[in-house]
Amino acid sequence: MSKSEKITQKLQAMLPEDDVCRDESYQGGVVFSARVPLGKLRDAIKEFDEAGYYLESIAALDFQDTFELVYHLNCYEPRARIAIRVPCGHDQSPATVSDIFPSALWQEREVRDFFGIQFTDSPDMRPLLLPEDADYYPLKKTFGMVHAYHKRDEIYG
Amino acid sequence: MAEQFQEPIVEQIYTLNLGPQHPSTHGVLRVLLDLDGEFIVKADPIIGYGHRGHEKMAENRTYKQFMPNTSRMDYLSGLLFNHGFVLAVEKFAGLEVPERAKYIRVICSELNRISSHLLWFGTYIMDLGGFTPFLYCFDDRENILDILDRVTGSRLTYSYCRFGGVTRDIDAEFISMTRAFIDRLRSRWTDYHNLVTKNVIFIHRTRDVGVITPELARQFGVVGPNLRACGIPFDVRKSEPYELYDRFDFEIPTGTKGDALDRYNVRLQEMEQSCRIIEQALDQLPEGSHINEVVPFKVRPPKGEIYFAFESARGLTAYYLVSDGSPYPYRCHIRVPSFGNLQVLTEVFRGTLVADAISILGSIDVVIPEIDR
Amino acid sequence: MGSEMASDWIRIIVGLIIVLAFSQVNALFLVWLERKVAGHIQLRYGPMEVGPHGILQTIADGIKLVGKELITPLAADWKLFIIAPVLVFMPVLVAFIVLPFGENLIIRDMNLGVLLIFGFSTLSVLAILAGGWAANNKYALLGAIRSVAQNVAYEIPLLLAVLSVVLMTQSLRFSEIVGAQSRVWFIFLQPVAGLIYLICATAETNRAPFDIPEAESELIAGFHTEYSGMRFGLFFLAEYTNMFIVSAVAAALFFGGWHGPFGLSLGIPGVVWFLAKVYVLLFVIMWVRWTFPRVRFDQLMNFSWKVMLPLSLLNLIVTAAVLKFI
Repeated sequence: MSKSEKITQKLQAMLPEDDVCRDESYQGGVVFSARVPLGKLRDAIKEFDEAGYYLESIAALDFQDTFELVYHLNCYEPRARIAIRVPCGHDQSPATVSDIFPSALWQEREVRDFFGIQFTDSPDMRPLLLPEDADYYPLKKTFGMVHAYHKRDEIYG
Repeated sequence: MAEQFQEPIVEQIYTLNLGPQHPSTHGVLRVLLDLDGEFIVKADPIIGYGHRGHEKMAENRTYKQFMPNTSRMDYLSGLLFNHGFVLAVEKFAGLEVPERAKYIRVICSELNRISSHLLWFGTYIMDLGGFTPFLYCFDDRENILDILDRVTGSRLTYSYCRFGGVTRDIDAEFISMTRAFIDRLRSRWTDYHNLVTKNVIFIHRTRDVGVITPELARQFGVVGPNLRACGIPFDVRKSEPYELYDRFDFEIPTGTKGDALDRYNVRLQEMEQSCRIIEQALDQLPEGSHINEVVPFKVRPPKGEIYFAFESARGLTAYYLVSDGSPYPYRCHIRVPSFGNLQVLTEVFRGTLVADAISILGSIDVVIPEIDR
Repeated sequence: MGSEMASDWIRIIVGLIIVLAFSQVNALFLVWLERKVAGHIQLRYGPMEVGPHGILQTIADGIKLVGKELITPLAADWKLFIIAPVLVFMPVLVAFIVLPFGENLIIRDMNLGVLLIFGFSTLSVLAILAGGWAANNKYALLGAIRSVAQNVAYEIPLLLAVLSVVLMTQSLRFSEIVGAQSRVWFIFLQPVAGLIYLICATAETNRAPFDIPEAESELIAGFHTEYSGMRFGLFFLAEYTNMFIVSAVAAALFFGGWHGPFGLSLGIPGVVWFLAKVYVLLFVIMWVRWTFPRVRFDQLMNFSWKVMLPLSLLNLIVTAAVLKFI
């Protein structure tokens, strides 16, 4: 059984049925994407660490009703990428995963720089790309020139 | 050397700033080093001096208008980033590309990969104090720049690829120049090996220096030749083949120990493999059109997202595009390989000498503007 | 008695003037030669604009340096800071007095000629330390410390190699050492000592691959980071003149001085032979600089204490044994 199938089973055991959607054609670049609530984020990431995956990227999306954090994890086998989507309200703070995957430290600093999402228990929350005294969050859709600001369901419907 | 490093006495630590302006940091990188004598106790890279806000720009430009930005993130593999972006949007919007255009894009991307590795080679030896191979590499690199200049019009930051193909077709002169260049580069390998690889001083400065174990690489998300030097044969061109790479016969060079010498050898062999790919592509080049004329002027991908990964000169690079059906991306996040490659230095620098730090920094091959975006 | 002293004095004064002029012109020439050699090794031409083939380039650079502002850092120890470049240049000028340019072309053929040169060359180490300390700059201090350690370490095998030659001729006088090589050059009798001398001389003059103290890519410019204008020019010229001195000593001790090969002079005056040998050795030193990368500092020290020193001691013992029993 390949690593991605193993981890699929573990996640399906952890989450309700319709939160894990598979994509056999690999069109979106991921084998499946799982919707993980904020509280179960660290447990899910720990499963990935034990399965031998590495954290590829943390991206944040800004919608009118919520933020969404998308964690992409990959391992060294072909076609094994998995995305974890974590809805996170505009005032909520997700937990840090930098003690499980040290590469998350800089990714989380960048997300905090651009979106203002604070990660709890992180050892280092200095600005990464912006100057130390920056008090603005550039990638939020309320900053600067913006073309469109949608609710989450308008895109993923 | 690390075995001789003991825990330092706190009063003896002094902080040295490997400043943003330094001949050896590639781009504007600042590393705050806590030193105990000559040993590094703690290393803290500080970046952000070159942040230009590409991701914000992406949300305010159409997909086509974002093309020049893609070249400027990692300016040494500008065509590779171009290529990756175009592939991502074509896959997202379901656009067709003629065969000839695909072959042309592969040939130009591999030429760009060779030029990036050549520049890394020259600057790495220059950091170590050998000033001559730098100019030999630039001589070779001028040939590539001339070849690509003929067809794209630029030398460093290209916007050659379009959705559905490329801007201009290649002619017979391009093909003969490329073949001549490959023959010339192959004849140079003996020079480079005699001058550098077999040089005893060089070997002493790179063997067992900056060892990255596979576990460390996995934890920090290290990709590219640094990962392959640890022994893990992971290359996006083989694991998620895109754009004809499954039709070519090439190998993935790997190392064994993960030290600087292995990283050096892996990159030299990668250049040879790229030459093989270019030769096969030139042999298989079909006739046809160089662009798909039916592609709409403003590309509107359907609602949804795509995460497209490709192999740039430094490792796995990925475009994460979220679209709301309009010609403007809703979110464009670029995952660059130097992010993880630079972060792993906080672990690897501990317990090394300052002179070794320069050697390790050069062998990792980071380009800071791609981290800063 | 009086006229002998007078002719002695005239000889000394004329010799000093010639030596001063020669050392300056030589330093200018060497800077140009280095840039040309570097250029051609790197597939380019080097200076071509100023004068035919760029020969006047160094003069233009000198004028530029003289015209620059002499900046003294605020917190620097200004007395040491100003003295250091002068202190570096002075010993190399003294060494010119005993160099055997030709059979009768030694300004003062002292019976301690070899010792004089090496005694004075150690003074320049003090000057480097003073310069690096006085600049009040972490990088300069690191460079100065490394330079002192390197110079001290490589001085010892150098002197032991020279001692092997001196044992053979039983004299420290240059004219006698060169005279003893009329049929066979000492490089054929003492190849190990010659090789050790050349390596240690490269390290003594802080030339690549031993140029850690001025390592550009690591410490900006090492011990002369804070120097500007002609003060930097003095350090620079002192390095090239030092190179000339060690090459001249090598030519005199190992390569036959003013003799031609196998004692045949082939109608060419001795001074031309001597200068030709010196410049060939200088070319080799420059060639090595542009070919090899830099040695790491601890590897450099290991090489000196663990390889060079035992080898030179062994060479000395073998020389003494051979001389005793043959």
